[in-house]
Amino acid sequence: MSYAYLFKYIIIGDTGVGKSCLLLQFTDKRFQPVHDLTIGVEFGARMITIDGKQIKLQIWDTAGQEAFRSITRSYYRGAAGALLVYDITRRETFNHLTTWLEDARQHSNSNMVIMLIGNKSDLDSRREVKKEEGEAFAREHGLVFMETSARTAANVEEAFINTAKEIYEKIQEGVFDINNEANGIKIGQQHSPTNPSLPGAGNQGGSTSSGCC
Amino acid sequence: MFARIKKSVLTVVAPDIPALPDTSGTTRAHNRSLPDKFTYARPAFLQLLTYDELKASADHNVRPIIVPRDISILPWSTGYAECVNSGKSEWNEDQAAFCRQVLTHPSKQHPDLPYTYFGIFDGHAGYGAALAASHQFHHILHEKLVDVIDMLMPRQDTGPPKPDILPSPLAFQRSVSKDELIIGALESAFIEMDALLAEDRDKYRNAGGCTALVALFILGKMFVSNAGDSRSVLCQRMSNEVLKSHTSNISSNVPNSKDNSDSHESKWEDKKHMHIFPIPFSHDHTPDTERPRLMSTAKLNPSLMGGEYVAMEYAKRPAVKDLGQRILYRQGTMKGWAYKTLTRDDLKMPIVIGEGKRSRLMGTIGVTRGFGDHDLRAIGSGLPIKPFLSPHPEVNYRDLTKVISIPEENNEDGDYGILIMATDGLWDVIDTETVSKTVFTTLSKYPTEKHRYTMVAQELVAKSRGRINESGHWRLADSKAAATVDDISVIVIPVYQYYKEYLEWERKCKEDLEKKKSMPSPASFETSVTTNGTVSGDEEDERAEIAGDGYDADGETATTTTPCDTISSTTNDEEEGKATAEKEVTSTDPSSGT
Repeated sequence: MSYAYLFKYIIIGDTGVGKSCLLLQFTDKRFQPVHDLTIGVEFGARMITIDGKQIKLQIWDTAGQEAFRSITRSYYRGAAGALLVYDITRRETFNHLTTWLEDARQHSNSNMVIMLIGNKSDLDSRREVKKEEGEAFAREHGLVFMETSARTAANVEEAFINTAKEIYEKIQEGVFDINNEANGIKIGQQHSPTNPSLPGAGNQGGSTSSGCC
Repeated sequence: MFARIKKSVLTVVAPDIPALPDTSGTTRAHNRSLPDKFTYARPAFLQLLTYDELKASADHNVRPIIVPRDISILPWSTGYAECVNSGKSEWNEDQAAFCRQVLTHPSKQHPDLPYTYFGIFDGHAGYGAALAASHQFHHILHEKLVDVIDMLMPRQDTGPPKPDILPSPLAFQRSVSKDELIIGALESAFIEMDALLAEDRDKYRNAGGCTALVALFILGKMFVSNAGDSRSVLCQRMSNEVLKSHTSNISSNVPNSKDNSDSHESKWEDKKHMHIFPIPFSHDHTPDTERPRLMSTAKLNPSLMGGEYVAMEYAKRPAVKDLGQRILYRQGTMKGWAYKTLTRDDLKMPIVIGEGKRSRLMGTIGVTRGFGDHDLRAIGSGLPIKPFLSPHPEVNYRDLTKVISIPEENNEDGDYGILIMATDGLWDVIDTETVSKTVFTTLSKYPTEKHRYTMVAQELVAKSRGRINESGHWRLADSKAAATVDDISVIVIPVYQYYKEYLEWERKCKEDLEKKKSMPSPASFETSVTTNGTVSGDEEDERAEIAGDGYDADGETATTTTPCDTISSTTNDEEEGKATAEKEVTSTDPSSGT
């Protein structure tokens, strides 16, 4: 499938807040109640449409455990968007947001769009963090906020897509240098006005997978 | 530099098309249109199933550290982690594989003999050879082991007694141990894998070449065979008491075992008086380390140098102005230096230039053993390089039944060791001592976690990859030194976990034998020790080890009561074995090549 842009996302937050489940719900539209601890990093991808343009989201799902923090830090680089996730039923995951945010701001490019997500909204009876608190935190730090449920899929699509919309707007405004891959954005072949005939382009084996315009 | 720019442009413009591996392009023209034998992929146990995942894992800007999604796929909680290069080739050209197999005797008279194999292959000039080796090597190895299945099988003879043939002292006859058969299986499998790549040249796209590092766990022993500059190190952590008894009693043919005392000197002491030290289980094969072999090959076949090179090493770089003067040189397998008069011929390029990791054969390649490279030609002269390369592995092994471990110490991982197998991406920037320390420090941080060995692998990859600085260079985290820009792959094998599995299997074998014995079987006979002074299978096995490391064989023939470890060594069997062994070398059946 060809695309106009590829956006790289990273999902961060404490262990057990549902990062892997959000990814699975978004890419596979399913929920896995028991999920193994993520060690290292996992990848997901999905195509979405914004403004009539095909946009591919490449999502890096990271390990939340403290022990993995130093490795996770190296993955901020080259991300255009980040989903910062906490668990509305566990106050401490909300309390750690500042640390996560500092990490993200320090190790990512300054234009990275960060979406704050309070996950497990289906467990309202066990809620420890009010929605208003999430909203306040987001406002204070200039983030977009949303409560989601990876189990019921509530707001999951929106979280990923709204982040993409914001990145897309930034591209339109010229904020992102889209020619620098380190910004987490790649231009796909739908665009490709430049350099259609590179030397060595004939080397590409029999691969015809990506549609040429 | 241009290639790198071209690549980054390519990935932006055509991100969904896998680019060709980086090749010198010298010999590619004729088979450019041929297909790949195997579609590029990462090791199956990583479960990177989609192209998107593959692409993300090969992000040269971030270099994510990839570990198995499901760590229970690898046996014994073995750890694995890998990381792509910083842009020198589109794809990670390292490959890894493992295989759990069972040798079943066709007669069904013997218990099944399980074995486990791990392989790590560092590709160059393309990903094809490493990919092929990771798909095919274990099939070839299995065939080779099946060839000697009769001799490897634990014996529980129920058949009629073999005729007593007196071994004639005049007849040329060698007794062959199980160890030698396993080593032979590994060696012949290496040679056949290389031959298979040669055959594939006409059918598939140029595969490039690769190094090969293979560990085989069988019959309570660990065999490590290596061709190339990947490296395997057994990291040990021992208390004083165990260490003392070990130095006198360890049974293995570990390289430099004579020098083990050296490595003990460099050992690192942590709390509780434990010593941490690495034991090398392989040696790198580079033009520098293989200089004697390469120089002899060149000296014996001067035509291979096409008048372009000289098979000599000089103490000082020869210059025109020194013509006619004396110069210190050595050639062939010479260890020392001698004088010669400098002639015009001496001004040619030496067949081996440079030292250490930067040494090059014919100015072109920095690794001298492995698979593939059949079409590789020297930069400049265009002469074929393959005649100088060898697929022949160095094999080292350790008998784990001889390892001393005090149960109260709960130090099995230290006593049996953690086997680290890694490509040069790791070893280029971290020495073996540091690796050993990192292994045990990381394990102590995760005392019980199932993924503790994965954490070790991840930690080692993270260390050698380092982090990228503002100007886009990869640097080690704890110093300003350059980190590796190469692909990195690391396997972390808790050897004791295998040994436990082996003990369980041995126990079962005994049980089965007891059952069989209790059944009336008129033909059964108790002992397999043959008459007339021929040694039992057990002693034979140990013979090879004695040769290897001065193991103090106290002639424990009592072990014949251990049926699982007993082979009958009648002359009949041996002749059979030899015939099979000969067949092995000539066998070129590539049926495993699927």
